[in-house]
Amino acid sequence: MSLSLYSRARSTAAWRISIWTTVAFSLCSAVAFTVMYLLVARDVQSRSDAWLTGEAQVLSEVAANTPRDSLDTRLVQEVAELASHEVIEEGRRSGQRRQSVFFLVTRYGQDPVWVGPEPKALFVDALSGASRQPGLPASIMVPGHPLPFRVVWNNGPEGTRLYLGFADTAANAMLHRLIERFALIWCAMALIGFAISAAGAFRTLQRVEQISEMVGRMGTEDLGKRLPEALADDEISRLSRTFNRMLERIQRSVNQIRIVTDSVAHDLKSPVTSIRGSLEFALLHGNSEDWQDRVADAVEKLDRLSQTLNTALDLAEADAGALPLKREPLDLGLLVERLSDLFQPSFADKQHKLHCYVQPGLFIEGDPSLLSRTIANLLDNEVAHLPPGRKVAVTVGQADQYAELIIEDDGPGFPEELRVRAFERFVKGQHSSGHGLGLAFVNAIVQAHGGCVTIGDSASGGAQIRIKLPMAKVSA
Amino acid sequence: MRLLIVEDDQAIRTFLERGLAEAGFQVDAASDGLSAMALAIEGIHDALVVDLGLPDIDGLEFIARVRAQGSTAPVLILSARRSVDDRVRGLEQGGDDYLTKPFALAEVVARLRNLLRRHSTQPESSRVRVADLELDLVRREARRGARLLQLTTQEFALLEYLCRNAGRVVTRTLILDHVWRMRIDPATNVVDVHIYRLRSKVDVEGVPPLIHTIRGIGYVLKPV
Repeated sequence: MSLSLYSRARSTAAWRISIWTTVAFSLCSAVAFTVMYLLVARDVQSRSDAWLTGEAQVLSEVAANTPRDSLDTRLVQEVAELASHEVIEEGRRSGQRRQSVFFLVTRYGQDPVWVGPEPKALFVDALSGASRQPGLPASIMVPGHPLPFRVVWNNGPEGTRLYLGFADTAANAMLHRLIERFALIWCAMALIGFAISAAGAFRTLQRVEQISEMVGRMGTEDLGKRLPEALADDEISRLSRTFNRMLERIQRSVNQIRIVTDSVAHDLKSPVTSIRGSLEFALLHGNSEDWQDRVADAVEKLDRLSQTLNTALDLAEADAGALPLKREPLDLGLLVERLSDLFQPSFADKQHKLHCYVQPGLFIEGDPSLLSRTIANLLDNEVAHLPPGRKVAVTVGQADQYAELIIEDDGPGFPEELRVRAFERFVKGQHSSGHGLGLAFVNAIVQAHGGCVTIGDSASGGAQIRIKLPMAKVSA
Repeated sequence: MRLLIVEDDQAIRTFLERGLAEAGFQVDAASDGLSAMALAIEGIHDALVVDLGLPDIDGLEFIARVRAQGSTAPVLILSARRSVDDRVRGLEQGGDDYLTKPFALAEVVARLRNLLRRHSTQPESSRVRVADLELDLVRREARRGARLLQLTTQEFALLEYLCRNAGRVVTRTLILDHVWRMRIDPATNVVDVHIYRLRSKVDVEGVPPLIHTIRGIGYVLKPV
């Protein structure tokens, strides 16, 4: 149980974050403690060196001022005893009983004076490697003694040399205790630091975990759900908000797709039903006179159906940015004129007057087939929806760097409910028999050409559609 | 006239075989590019009908291989895509033609005839005659019997197209393509209106009508 918890925890980002934090924290605090320890140790040594130098000075002064007889030796011995007692007193307090001071006086032709731990010969040997300069403390190691002795020597009268040596066991014990405590404190700090950073990281990343769990559970059915947004403006709240915004967008496009599929299904259902009806009738009454009419009717409806499907698929392709444009230099005015000629009888048939005002020589880079379909679409709209006996004006002119096509009429204008959503697919007027893709298609094609479509009112209150297409770069 | 149809969709292949046989062609059919190659290599076909989406090799690749064999037979390309890509347009300029699905059988027949005619090097005459209707293509004049018809440029072009295809059904799409040079698919009856106007001038009362509507498909110009 705890093992699996541990191995689960080990695979989390929170675990890695806390490990690294702890490692960095421990390293830094270890460096800080080491520096502190070294400073203290240096200070302790310089203090004990100062004592040693001073004491050696006193001893050599005593030796210089005292006449040379047996008394002299006694005196030196006493001073040495005193000095060693002083130090031993200190040592006793900390439980150290080892004699840690020695005193040596060498002179020609006589036995040296020795005060200190035995065997004396070991010390005399070690002293031969001591500092060459009088009055400066130096360290020597003596076999059998774990601590180094600090030694100072001074020249006495008549070629004598006074050595004073001292191993500061008390200070050493103090430094030792310092290291132990530092190590303890350091371990405690590392543990506490790890605990705090782990708790923080786990808590923070718990929120991320919650988000990923919620999003993971989310199906297309509950796109309406939202992640809780904390008040704090931290990264994770921002993550939640970003997710929520993304969910909103997804929900919108899913809704859009649903509308489109519903509309397609609905728009397909009625023609399919009536086609089936026509064909069924033709089958049942194969000899009656109007069976040919029925079949022809079915074929015409099928044609319209495939037209709707084609436009819907073109639109989908345009939306995905996958509509291949075969661009070539195109005189927009000429294209519009040819289409107007084609549609002229249809307009005349409904007692409309179609006027075409075209500025020639406005070249654009366009796909002739797609633009023809686009303009034909708009003219189809006018023919299909305008009440009889109106005027329609088609104008091609230049506006800045754009070639502009304006189609306007003096009819009733766009119904209010269509204005805002005119370019959405399957949006159509109440009495329209079209598939509702016309303006969406126009918009998609014009945008694919880098232009724009706007709808508005004409001067006479009718509908106006304005298409701007970027002009081709004029080559000299 | 012998045709080779290469189409993997069985429903469409059968429908084309039957329809084109009825239209008077001899028809061979293959369902994939490699077996079609075996048939095409004989070089006995006057025209090819090729679907682009073949299971083994790409339709365009097939056409390239047939051309590499030295065949000059024109190709009618069938494509399931609505927007035709540049490579197909390139072929179109080379004398071949394309159709996007779904298509009308009449359209396939008409385009094939058109390809085969374009392919033959018969000189075009300057006069066309159907029954008592006579077109002078040089002077751009049309007469029905002794009566000179007052036609606009567009109406004359439309009548010329109908006369050149006399006895054969032409669809609205074909008319838009050949008379107006536009591949559009209007939602309103633009072509019908043009035909009504032309008919009102050609088929006046008292003479037997020449322009007939085939409902659901298109129009045909023929003597009764």
